[in-house]
Amino acid sequence: MAYLGWAARKIGGALVVLWLVATAIFIGIRMIPGDPAEAIMGGPGSQASAEALAAARAEFGLDRPIGVQYLMYLGKLAQLDFGTSYSLKRPVTEVMGEVLPNTLWLALVSLAAAWLLALLFAAASMRASRLGSWLGSMFEIIAAAVPHFWLGSVLIMLFSSALGWLPAVDNGTAAGLLLPVLTLALPLAGFLTQLMRDSLAAAMGSQFALAARARGESRLMVFWRHGLRHASLPALNLTGWAFASLLSGAVVVEAIFARPGLGRSLLSAVLARDIPMVTGIALFSALVYILVMAVAEGIEKFIDPAGAGA
Amino acid sequence: MQKNQRAARVLSSALALGLVSAVLAGCSGTDTPSTADATAAPSAGGTLVYASGDAEPSCLDPHVGGNYPQALVSSQYLEPLFTKDAEGKIIPWLAESTEVSQDGLTRTIKLREGISFTDGTKLTSEAVKANIEHLQDPKTASSTGYLAVGKVKKIELPDELTAKLTLSAPDNALLESLSMPWTSIESPKALKRDQAANCAAPVGTGPFKVESWEHQKQVNLVRNEDYVAPVPEAGRSQQTAYLDGITWRFIPEAATRYAALQSGEVDVIDNAQPDTISSAAKDNALGHLDAPRPGASNRIELNSAKAPFDNAKVREAFIRSLDVNAGISSLYFDTAKRSYSLLSSVEPLGISDEALFTTDVAKANALLDEAGWTERDAAGYRAKDGKRLSVTFPVSTNQSVPAEQSLFQQFQASAKAVGFEVKIELLDLSSWYGALAKHEYNLVSAPYTKVGPSVLRILYHSDSTVPAPSGYFANNAQVKNDQLDKLLTEAEQTSDEAQRADLYAQAQKIVLEGYYVLPLYDQQNHFLYGKKVQGMGATTTVSSPTYYDVFLAK
Repeated sequence: MAYLGWAARKIGGALVVLWLVATAIFIGIRMIPGDPAEAIMGGPGSQASAEALAAARAEFGLDRPIGVQYLMYLGKLAQLDFGTSYSLKRPVTEVMGEVLPNTLWLALVSLAAAWLLALLFAAASMRASRLGSWLGSMFEIIAAAVPHFWLGSVLIMLFSSALGWLPAVDNGTAAGLLLPVLTLALPLAGFLTQLMRDSLAAAMGSQFALAARARGESRLMVFWRHGLRHASLPALNLTGWAFASLLSGAVVVEAIFARPGLGRSLLSAVLARDIPMVTGIALFSALVYILVMAVAEGIEKFIDPAGAGA
Repeated sequence: MQKNQRAARVLSSALALGLVSAVLAGCSGTDTPSTADATAAPSAGGTLVYASGDAEPSCLDPHVGGNYPQALVSSQYLEPLFTKDAEGKIIPWLAESTEVSQDGLTRTIKLREGISFTDGTKLTSEAVKANIEHLQDPKTASSTGYLAVGKVKKIELPDELTAKLTLSAPDNALLESLSMPWTSIESPKALKRDQAANCAAPVGTGPFKVESWEHQKQVNLVRNEDYVAPVPEAGRSQQTAYLDGITWRFIPEAATRYAALQSGEVDVIDNAQPDTISSAAKDNALGHLDAPRPGASNRIELNSAKAPFDNAKVREAFIRSLDVNAGISSLYFDTAKRSYSLLSSVEPLGISDEALFTTDVAKANALLDEAGWTERDAAGYRAKDGKRLSVTFPVSTNQSVPAEQSLFQQFQASAKAVGFEVKIELLDLSSWYGALAKHEYNLVSAPYTKVGPSVLRILYHSDSTVPAPSGYFANNAQVKNDQLDKLLTEAEQTSDEAQRADLYAQAQKIVLEGYYVLPLYDQQNHFLYGKKVQGMGATTTVSSPTYYDVFLAK
């Protein structure tokens, strides 16, 4: 029962967050200069006639008072109707459905790659000399700090222009996915390693690690069975956040590597003042974030008996 | 000076193949791939990969909206009624002949026989009517093409191949207007589909057709196997295109695009930037096509409707204070030629006056003194009655490339030396149009592409200071001059070509000598292509390349 109550509170909270996000988007996008009707007429600065603009305004309800528009907008969202894209003239859900798998795939592979890299870095740092360890942590700090657009451009210059090893643009092959994934995964890996390193060192120096060593387990076994499990917890807790950061990183990475995806849709929609498209993607991103966080928390509650009764 | 019009579609293929590289080298001043390859016989087959840096069109039908990215892609599958020959003269294309009545109010267009759309529909006069009506229908949401056919009031069809257009006023720019991709002719049967279907795959008569559109990624074009060239080229081994198809990719990042060209992932890139063109010139494997757009030159307009540029002396002072040539030469790596004209160098009726625009700092200072800007404030700027000599310059980051933005920053520094404070505001396109609509600018650079000198009327007639319903107006310099208005109206209506040239020359003189405008260079339009690509060079009247003559070396 406690579990159901928790779920109900979560869903209620999520709905409030979604409503706030939807309202913020509605207000925000109307405060930016530029007439939404122009977005419908093929972009800003259109020389469309008065009749054409009036027809477009009527079609999309832009001639109604702003309060009515807001209520209509919420009403449609409540029915999961995201409307029709102003610039593409196609249903927002259809456009999102087309590109969503690309972005999710990119984010998931990058998340996995970041974890793999972080584990390797963390393990390596255990064996490293003091200088090696110092170099390692410098690398992590730099990796965690570099912006995606810089890293992506450098990788292209290095591996496509100079060496010619990898394609600069996505061509559907695994090789085409490598550079975008590295661009997203490296900064995240740097961040995750930083989180893992301290708790790993603490775990490896702890009583139970010593005891395990005394039982005759190899150093590698101890690292794998005890150290890593402890060290991973703080990083695992941040997976929800990490996934969200990958989705936002996708905006940049998809533009640089010319990959179709949600991020690229968002970028062009913002520039075109395509309100339904921006709203749809922003709400969807908020929903994904809430879901990932809730699932992570739910699993934690389910596994941990101490938490479930609370 | 008129550059070579490269509407080389009508050049014979032998001429095109033999001379194109020479013509290009002459025009662009850069090397094309080894000329030995260019003389090879065209070989059919292969798919060319094109990478566009422009925003992906939201609709592949250039009637809808009507921008340059749409022109670039649609010229492969749609054709206009008229085009230009190698000398820049308007000639019939899908049309066979045309004549205009004495009073200039009736334009008769006769179509060629035996041409079909790729959906099997025959090209008849019904198509001309359907297309002009499609452009004029508010539901189409045309913002470029509908202006071009704005004076067409009635369309009658005396027979299957003849259309008779009745105009509200004489319009000697109509054929130029009907040569632009935004007024291309589509299948009337296909136009009857709903707009989404027509946007996804417009149906035309061109050498290629739209096979599919993978949104955000690419448009797949395939050869039209039944293509009939309206003006057949002698000596071609086949009347259809040589290429099997074109993969039209969208790669927004300039650096990625160039890397993809270098690694051979793509064959042609557009929106090539000065630094890339310059480095490509050193790379023998890459060819360069310099295709300046028609219409207006790229220029800075000075808003004469408000202080301080309501005073011609202050306008001239600003212009004289800048060292434009040095800036263009260094920031554009000598890939852009300085212009002293309101019109593009491809426009035969453009006039230039270099003497008006030479740098003269002493004169600039003297003019500002005369205009009463004699005080200096604490920051070193000139002032009058305690008010600083300050001008606002909103710059669209969508329309100004990084080199141009740097150029404007140089101008900012040179203008400061004579006492101007120039406030550059980098804005996205919507905010930029918003600033213009609210008259929050003293300086602005706004490109305008159109075929023919009638663009002058759009940009400098006082009617164009009246905003469109969206708030847009084209006369950013806010020129209001009765004599100029009269000249521009007469120039558009006369049927005498010599008189037309003379009237437009007088009109340009008024604008140039009034210091409303600082011309910089042609609207830059550079393409780079790989070694395999042969026969590049033909363009439409708006300088978008066509690929009918192009083939891939084996």
